[in-house]
Amino acid sequence: MFAFVVRRAAYGFLTLLGVLLLLFALFFLYASPHEMARRAVGEKAPPEVLEQWIANHGYDKPKLWNPEHPLDTLLVDHFRRTLSFDFGRSDADGTPITQRLREGMGPSLALAIPSFVLGLLFSVALGLFVAYFRETYIDRMGVVLCVLTMSISTLLYIIGGQFLLGKLLRWFPISGFDASPSVIVRFLMLPLLVSLADGVGGSVRFYRTVFIEEGSRDYVRTARAKGCGDLRVMTHHVLRNALIPILTRVVVAIPFLFTGSLLLESFFGIPGLGSMTVDAIHGNDFATLRAMVFIGSLLFIGAQIATDVSYTLVDPRVRLE
Amino acid sequence: MARGGSVARLAAAALGLLLLSACTNNPYPDADDAARIFYRPLSEPPKSLDPAVSYNFSEHQITGVVYATLLDYHYLDRPYRLIPGLAREVPHAQVLPDGRVAYRFRLREGALYQGDPAFALGGASASAREVVAGDLAFQLMRIADPAVGSPVIATFAKIEGLREFSQRLEALREGDPEFARRRIDEQYAAAGGIAGVKVPDPHTFEIVLSEPYPLLLYWFTMPFTAPVPWEAVAYWDGEEGRAFFKDHPVGAGPFRLTKLEPQSRVVLERNPNWYGLLHPEWRAPAAVYPTQGEPGDAALGRLDPAYVGRALPFLDRVEFRIEKEDIPIFNKFLQGYYDSSGIVQESFDKIVHEGGLSPEMAARGMQLEKTVDPDVYYIGFNMDDPVVGTPAGEQGRKLRQAMSLVVDSREYARVFNNGRGVPAQSPLPPGIFGYQADYQNPFRRVDLERAKQLLDEAGYAKGIDPATGKPLRLSFDIGDTSTRGRVRFQFFVNAWNRLGLDVEIAATTYNQFQEKVRKNAYQIFMWGWVADYPDPENFLFLLWGPLANSKSHGSNTANFSNPRYDELFVKMKNAENGEPRLAMIREMRALLERERPWIELFHRENYTLFHGWVHNVKPAGLSLPTARYVDIDPELRSRQRAEWNQPVLWPAFALVALGIAVIAPGIVTFLRERQ
Amino acid sequence: MEAHVVSNLVVALLLAGAAALAIGVRRNDLWRASAVELARRRPIALGVVGVYLAVALLDSVSWVGGGDAGAGGNALDLHRPRSLIDRAFPLDLDEKSYSAPLASVEFYGGAPLDHPGRHLLGTDILGRDVLHLTLEGTRVALLVGGFTSLIVIPLALLVGVSAGYFGRRIDDVAFFVMSTLASIPNLLLLIALIMAMGRGAVQVCVAMGVTSWVGFCRIVRGETLKLRELDYVQAARALGVSEPRLIWRHILPNLMHLVVITFVLLFSGLVLFEAILSYLGIGIDGSWGQMIDQARDELARDPIIWWNLAAASSALFALILAVNFVGDAVRDVLDPRTLRERQ
Repeated sequence: MFAFVVRRAAYGFLTLLGVLLLLFALFFLYASPHEMARRAVGEKAPPEVLEQWIANHGYDKPKLWNPEHPLDTLLVDHFRRTLSFDFGRSDADGTPITQRLREGMGPSLALAIPSFVLGLLFSVALGLFVAYFRETYIDRMGVVLCVLTMSISTLLYIIGGQFLLGKLLRWFPISGFDASPSVIVRFLMLPLLVSLADGVGGSVRFYRTVFIEEGSRDYVRTARAKGCGDLRVMTHHVLRNALIPILTRVVVAIPFLFTGSLLLESFFGIPGLGSMTVDAIHGNDFATLRAMVFIGSLLFIGAQIATDVSYTLVDPRVRLE
Repeated sequence: MARGGSVARLAAAALGLLLLSACTNNPYPDADDAARIFYRPLSEPPKSLDPAVSYNFSEHQITGVVYATLLDYHYLDRPYRLIPGLAREVPHAQVLPDGRVAYRFRLREGALYQGDPAFALGGASASAREVVAGDLAFQLMRIADPAVGSPVIATFAKIEGLREFSQRLEALREGDPEFARRRIDEQYAAAGGIAGVKVPDPHTFEIVLSEPYPLLLYWFTMPFTAPVPWEAVAYWDGEEGRAFFKDHPVGAGPFRLTKLEPQSRVVLERNPNWYGLLHPEWRAPAAVYPTQGEPGDAALGRLDPAYVGRALPFLDRVEFRIEKEDIPIFNKFLQGYYDSSGIVQESFDKIVHEGGLSPEMAARGMQLEKTVDPDVYYIGFNMDDPVVGTPAGEQGRKLRQAMSLVVDSREYARVFNNGRGVPAQSPLPPGIFGYQADYQNPFRRVDLERAKQLLDEAGYAKGIDPATGKPLRLSFDIGDTSTRGRVRFQFFVNAWNRLGLDVEIAATTYNQFQEKVRKNAYQIFMWGWVADYPDPENFLFLLWGPLANSKSHGSNTANFSNPRYDELFVKMKNAENGEPRLAMIREMRALLERERPWIELFHRENYTLFHGWVHNVKPAGLSLPTARYVDIDPELRSRQRAEWNQPVLWPAFALVALGIAVIAPGIVTFLRERQ
Repeated sequence: MEAHVVSNLVVALLLAGAAALAIGVRRNDLWRASAVELARRRPIALGVVGVYLAVALLDSVSWVGGGDAGAGGNALDLHRPRSLIDRAFPLDLDEKSYSAPLASVEFYGGAPLDHPGRHLLGTDILGRDVLHLTLEGTRVALLVGGFTSLIVIPLALLVGVSAGYFGRRIDDVAFFVMSTLASIPNLLLLIALIMAMGRGAVQVCVAMGVTSWVGFCRIVRGETLKLRELDYVQAARALGVSEPRLIWRHILPNLMHLVVITFVLLFSGLVLFEAILSYLGIGIDGSWGQMIDQARDELARDPIIWWNLAAASSALFALILAVNFVGDAVRDVLDPRTLRERQ
């Protein structure tokens, strides 16, 4: 087990390097230090001020190859600083990135965790419900509803949600965020509902399939014949044995909790890590982007290793090679 | 089984209660309901609140009230006129024998900065420190300091000795790395200060310019020239967990910054050290509500006796919320959660009927203010371009004139701005000296026939380029990829299509567009300019040859370079307002009319809405920070908000009932079957 | 070569390819039975998809010239290529601005329209006929779904089969590349690629393809691993059959059902995602996503302007729904268990 984890970690590290290289190439493909400077200082600034900014932030070094000091290039800096978690300051406004990360994590998690947990509970419960009533009109209706909800674009859910629940029915604020405990729930309800509506279709269908497959197995029939109550059969037997596919789906989603849903945060004005990433993309804020992508990749790779490990814990038949 | 069922029911009930309790769309804590807080949206987070650096509208809303300036504009009088602020009176230029010009300011005695821990550096207690002339000199030295990166250093270079100071400072820093680590005021002292900035005594401040520049006084209304305490700059350096000075402004204005969360909000609170509050007996013009104004002001409730002559400010707090999209801003305004707002095009017809408030809005107690902004929006041609610019000579000029004759500003305003906007005939907007209300630019009316004729004369009969035999291909370079922007540009393209010209929209991000500008790789573009100060120089300089983008990366993006225009501009720049100046401006206008480097579109007309509970509003185009003059009636606001925001709950219950109705029979049948 | 000429050629190729495919399917008993079964299960959904396909194809065949500008039209349009769908609408159909479906006056101001009652779905902010725009959007949607899938599937097959079959070094490299790509947030990768390559339709499709192939590749790799261990494949190897032939004749055909299922799933996912790209400003011009994005502003109006949003979202919804239903049926029909039964 230990050897496995170590080997996967090594692979993971290589992947991380690959990610950083790709990020570097991508970013400097479409942005240039001049643009970053202009974004940071403002458009009315004269060229000399822009040059000053570029020099102050160290972006006047050559990108790949420096004939005088071979290792004094942007590329090497990029690797060295990221891998040592020295994220530095945002290129857009100079705030330390670790501070922004700390500030942004709260709102992101405040939205992501309830959304994830509620979504999971809701989808699993609905999936169980529909699978239990399989072949009846409830099941068929459920499947059709799933397909229907899956066929609507996320954008439409967001626009529709804001219009319907925010403007028309006035249930919740249209957008915004305030972390004080007395008001925080108001701001989270709408994005929560939208994210639930958006994800429920696909998840319920998936779980329904899984539960129906499990439910048709022999041991379930035995359990029923033995006289176990239906609810107990569904929860204790079917659910537990269907855990592997559920687990895969769940664990893979965990890294995205931290990075936050870029779209939801951006639309609803929630100042989390996701909207920070979108701002960094639009604002050519390389330093922030680098930090976000690095952390996202780190978590993703970590989650993959965790998935594999959790397989063994859940199903003793699975052995890791 | 029974236990599981009851747990489930309990959970459902709890969830339901949670939902209901959260069911309100008020984004503010209930405790703030009774306070005199003014809520405003900010469209982007403030990047820097350093008065030497900050140069955009959003940031100015903050720095303009946190920093006190020597001069101000009178709140109500139009045209805008200067009144003394921290200075005792508005100085006059003293012409010195050798052509130099001097201004002498006398500062009020006893004006204090807000309390701040930084003042411990100077030995004073943290509670107060008086504003002295040396602070003004310090701020000017900051503008000159290359490490600060002030965008207006070129303007202030007119001050004698400023450039030399910059060079000396830089030399000292480069020569000795230790020097750069010394405290900032010591560095400036070692560099010897600016020759043209004199501080004869703590309350007198003198500036010497190397040449006349009447517009200088306008710069003294902006935070660039506000006094800044050196202690604040030295103390708030980001070390040891302290904030940066750019995030921690320390000023002598009516408000101080108490909370800065760049991603969500900014909070300003009343500054108890503001001289208007500490010394009401001074009756300082910039610290009391004006006693007179324009003829219409009294009727509009702006000279309410309850406020006239009273000390400012009236508000306890100003709270800004960061909102990146303007439709949510407007919707929240309608719900009562913002106190003022522009009107988004989408809701215009609900708000305005025939130029005034609709009955529905009037019933809500709203007020509508209309102003024409001192700005100009235009389509520009790159005069360096071989097809549309000067190299194409007469042909190019006729092409530009033809294209100018088919653009319908009025129609554009009708389709995209609900008819708001004064169609522009020249670069100068209403309210600026040189603007002539009855002037009609012959090339800014719509005349398709004449345009086609001009096009023929130019050699592009029916829009066909004789070189290729196909319609003439032109490129409209824009820096906006949003769908909203695209349709607006398509409007112009449609107009030129009617001439048979094939204009392609080359849309890139704003950054990429700026790159194009830097490389001079654009043909037709669209831009706008908002005045910094109310003088025609601030508009006509956009077409001055030496400032051409291709020559010096200046603001003359059209690269217009006409020797006679350039000559007239230099003469007009420093002339006093009068007949000779008017004649020069008229001649320049005639040149622009003929050459058509710009197709002038419109001057924006601003419709600002205020709720009935806001008092003393008068919109000011020059982004004047007006928070100190405004007042709120919290009780009325509370009441109207509650009235307008009752949540509509029946659909939720209906949905739940429907769900149960649909599923119940199925469950019942299923269970029965299994028996 | 002009864009519209390329488009015409592509249509010709597609039709030829479809014909070849049809012949191929007819000859193969298994596939023909599956196709018949599919048609039996979901005739309506298939019909709907067929209609969309037809509209997209009609909109892809275009040429310059012919027709007249009409009273209010531009001479310029005569020099632009116009498709069969374009030619169904008169050239000067544009109004000045918004008008409701089948209305005879403008929405704002009530001025009489140039073509009263001619606009079945109303007009947008620049006066363009919404029905025309929606039909044009079909082409973009099918381009996004179809072309991108055509990029994704061969790429994923190539890498997946190589990794699964040849294993070892190639597998490691493939795994590395896939993990790297999967670890970067999709949106970031997309935005960076599109900004670097430009905003044309082809570039957007390529960028979307680059971000979507990893999932399918993993599945292909897994299946190939399983297939490689099958008895008859082992036997063929022992008999000395060359590797390419082996892959071509034994492995690939058994992956086809996965290909078909993935194609259908990918298609809907990609088209839905394009709407999000339009919101971010990097979508394809003329797509339904762009219409929906514009509709955000229109919903805020009072009274609301609903026809733009309704047209684009209904068209989008109907297509995706139909594709999803067909996809489900395809998955059922091509399920290896039922396939074996039918055999």
